Amino acid sequence: MRYILRRLGFYLVAAWAAVTLNFFLPRLMPGDPATALFARFRGQLSPEAMEALRETFGLTEAPLVKQYLTYLGHILRGDMGISVAYFPSEVSGVIATGLLWTILIAGTAVVVSFAIGTTLGIIAASRRGGWLDNVLPSVLIFVGSFPYFWLAMVVLFIMGFTLRWFPLGHAYSDNLTPSLSLEFISSVLTHAFLPVATVVVATLGGWLLSMRNNMVSVLGSDYVNLARAKGLKPARVIMRYAARNALLPSVTGFGMALGYILGGSLLTEIVFSYPGQGYLLVQAVRNQDYPLMQGIFLMITLAVLGANLIIDVVYLWLDPRTREIGR
Amino acid sequence: MKGRARLWVASIFSLLILALLACSDHTQVMPEGVLVVSQEQQASWIRNFNPLTTAAAARWPTLAGIYEPLFVYNSVKAEYVPWLGLSYRWLSGNQVLRVETRDSVLWSDGKPFSAKDVTFTFKLMKQFPALDRRGVWNFLADVITVDSNTVDFHFSRIYIPGFDEIAAQPIVPEHIWSKIEDPVTYPNENPVATGPFTEVRMFKNQVFELGRNPHYWQKGLPKIEALRFPALPSNDRANLALVFDEIDWAGNFVPAIDRVYVRRDPEHHHYWFPLTGSTIFLYANTTRKPFDDVRVRKALSMAIDRQFLIDVALFGYSRPSDPSALSDAYASWPKIEVSEQENWVRYNPEAARRMLDEAGLVLDSEGRRHLPDGSPLEFEIITVSGWSDWVRACQVIARTYTELGLKTSVRTYDFSAWFQNVLEGNFDLALGWSYEGPTPYVFYRWLMASETVKPVGEATTGNWHRYGSPRADDVLKAFEKEADPVKQRDLSLRLQRIFFEEAPAIPLYPNPSWAEYNARRFVGFPSAENPYADPSPNKFDRGECLLVLTSLRPR
Repeated sequence: MRYILRRLGFYLVAAWAAVTLNFFLPRLMPGDPATALFARFRGQLSPEAMEALRETFGLTEAPLVKQYLTYLGHILRGDMGISVAYFPSEVSGVIATGLLWTILIAGTAVVVSFAIGTTLGIIAASRRGGWLDNVLPSVLIFVGSFPYFWLAMVVLFIMGFTLRWFPLGHAYSDNLTPSLSLEFISSVLTHAFLPVATVVVATLGGWLLSMRNNMVSVLGSDYVNLARAKGLKPARVIMRYAARNALLPSVTGFGMALGYILGGSLLTEIVFSYPGQGYLLVQAVRNQDYPLMQGIFLMITLAVLGANLIIDVVYLWLDPRTREIGR
Repeated sequence: MKGRARLWVASIFSLLILALLACSDHTQVMPEGVLVVSQEQQASWIRNFNPLTTAAAARWPTLAGIYEPLFVYNSVKAEYVPWLGLSYRWLSGNQVLRVETRDSVLWSDGKPFSAKDVTFTFKLMKQFPALDRRGVWNFLADVITVDSNTVDFHFSRIYIPGFDEIAAQPIVPEHIWSKIEDPVTYPNENPVATGPFTEVRMFKNQVFELGRNPHYWQKGLPKIEALRFPALPSNDRANLALVFDEIDWAGNFVPAIDRVYVRRDPEHHHYWFPLTGSTIFLYANTTRKPFDDVRVRKALSMAIDRQFLIDVALFGYSRPSDPSALSDAYASWPKIEVSEQENWVRYNPEAARRMLDEAGLVLDSEGRRHLPDGSPLEFEIITVSGWSDWVRACQVIARTYTELGLKTSVRTYDFSAWFQNVLEGNFDLALGWSYEGPTPYVFYRWLMASETVKPVGEATTGNWHRYGSPRADDVLKAFEKEADPVKQRDLSLRLQRIFFEEAPAIPLYPNPSWAEYNARRFVGFPSAENPYADPSPNKFDRGECLLVLTSLRPR
């Protein structure tokens, strides 16, 4: 219990530090939202519009410290302000438009990739020198080291453009209204398949390799030898003794990956025109949309910290040693 | 081994499901009678139809499709088309503009439109300066309803070009907007308007549809049942959809369009890029040496092979600028005659070298030019990373200048950083756009009016090169007071002459107005054969899209 409380304290401090950075970093960028918006129109707005824009966004000249305090106050109340790029929508509303879809594709991709990669890693390590161990890691690392953007474009071109097996973009067919019908769900699945599959293919190698390497070193340790010598079933040795220990570093990585889900997978979303957080973040940066940037960063920060907290708890369960320290 | 068998069964089963899903046809079914448009590039839509706040925020076509202005400006025919306003005239020595508004116009909720709505709209913009994006209250003193279809605009000074700003203002209904507490942040999710498309039939984050206005004042129009807007996050993605017949009308930049788009279906895939956009200039910062010397600016202009630059940077979509620097939007305006000899808006490298020598920028033995005081010349030309046409143009220019002995490098910035530098005058050379209006007044004002010059370090939306011409000031002042079109033409010629003599900036090419359309399901788009209006959906600022939206019909 003390262990958990101590971790909680640490996360509170980390959250405050992140929130503070969140406030100051965007303000170090040159320019302001009005000029950014104006520039985006490449001369289609009349010069007089600039005054109206400044008036609209109410660019404040208040000292930074004062702005910072108001910002902290607003965050505590959960008020993230009004977006500039999507003026006059509330930041929370803007974030909500893509959040579910982001969690759906990025979340599925991370979970699927972790599950498959780790399982393959265990199999590869337990049959060291077998074909799986020799071929799969190198193939997957090879595929994974292509620039993701290029890989996704090629997949979209072949599966979507040429073969027409999958739709070219969006989260579901434009002609459907969201409902719990079979038609809608199958539309969501077909639309999500390519984005999820490309991310899984690109990241699988990493999970596989790290799990395999951990397994290999754990399999060489004394207690595994002891278990074998005692005549336990090989499957039991692999799963209950070796894998459980070898999983620890991968779980940490998994926690990080889970946290970053909320940041969205920018490239996936752009290539597959999938509505989500990643593109919002780019828009926010381009338009110097401080409130939206802060909102998204806040979500990412909280998600990363939250995921880490969960991982800490999972560690307690996976690794009895942490429980000892905790007491 | 039982576990493994189960795994195999499970994976084969899931593969089968996927195969089933994949086998359905994924060619997008095009909705009957619904025109699919791509104008904005967004990953997801935010529901906002507020026509008064900044253009950036409201969905297209809020400004010209949902709401309507008093007069639509047709930039191809260079004329005003009466819209909510029927006619206008100047009274009391051009101090008052009287506009007659159209009878029998209904708002989409069935209530009648009247001159009072016009007065209300302008008063609202006075009350909330954030809504006054054309700055009309810089020159207006008062707006008064004379009767139910007459409005008087009282000017604080004689300012004829102000008519254009008034004409283009979208009008909102008083009976709705008078009850709105803060019109600046009002998202106006269910618009009540006078335009052809006012009913939001569906709004989802990846697509929305606008249906016909049931009370539209042009009886029998529009002929299209609805407009649909799929959210497409990037230019590449929009072009892909265009090529696949998933979009009927778009205003995107398409590289090598004949090969990429037209050749796939020559019968239905069309484009028309009239050169009615703003003129792209190379701005030389005249507060820095040696750009303060008119001979240097002219020499820098003559060094550029514009046709080559256009072929490299713009796939040949434009033409070299002429000595007036005006785009084809001013085709009906007379242009000055200049002799081949003195024309500095053309490619003439020998003359460029000669002029640089004359200006005292002498060449040393290593082939580099120096200022008269001996300091070596080195320039930086700044542009926006990702605006690939501009980056290529800058590279062509930099290479040309370096060959002339003026070492020039290209530096790219993210656009807000670039714009900040340009606005505050922190640059040697920069590519930039011009500002346009129905007359060349606005164009030349932002090129050389002294009142638009700000000191370096202070941001200014135009005249980034910071050049003021006292001669031009007088002509521009006269232009502000001149309502007679014939005399305006004379003044335009005088401005062109001053521009030509003083060379405040280096014109490169007029920007095309981007428009692609698919005639498979709809006809009636403007084209080179039928140039009734500008074909681009990007021309919403003065209501021009309305001309197209009310002319299209299903095949």
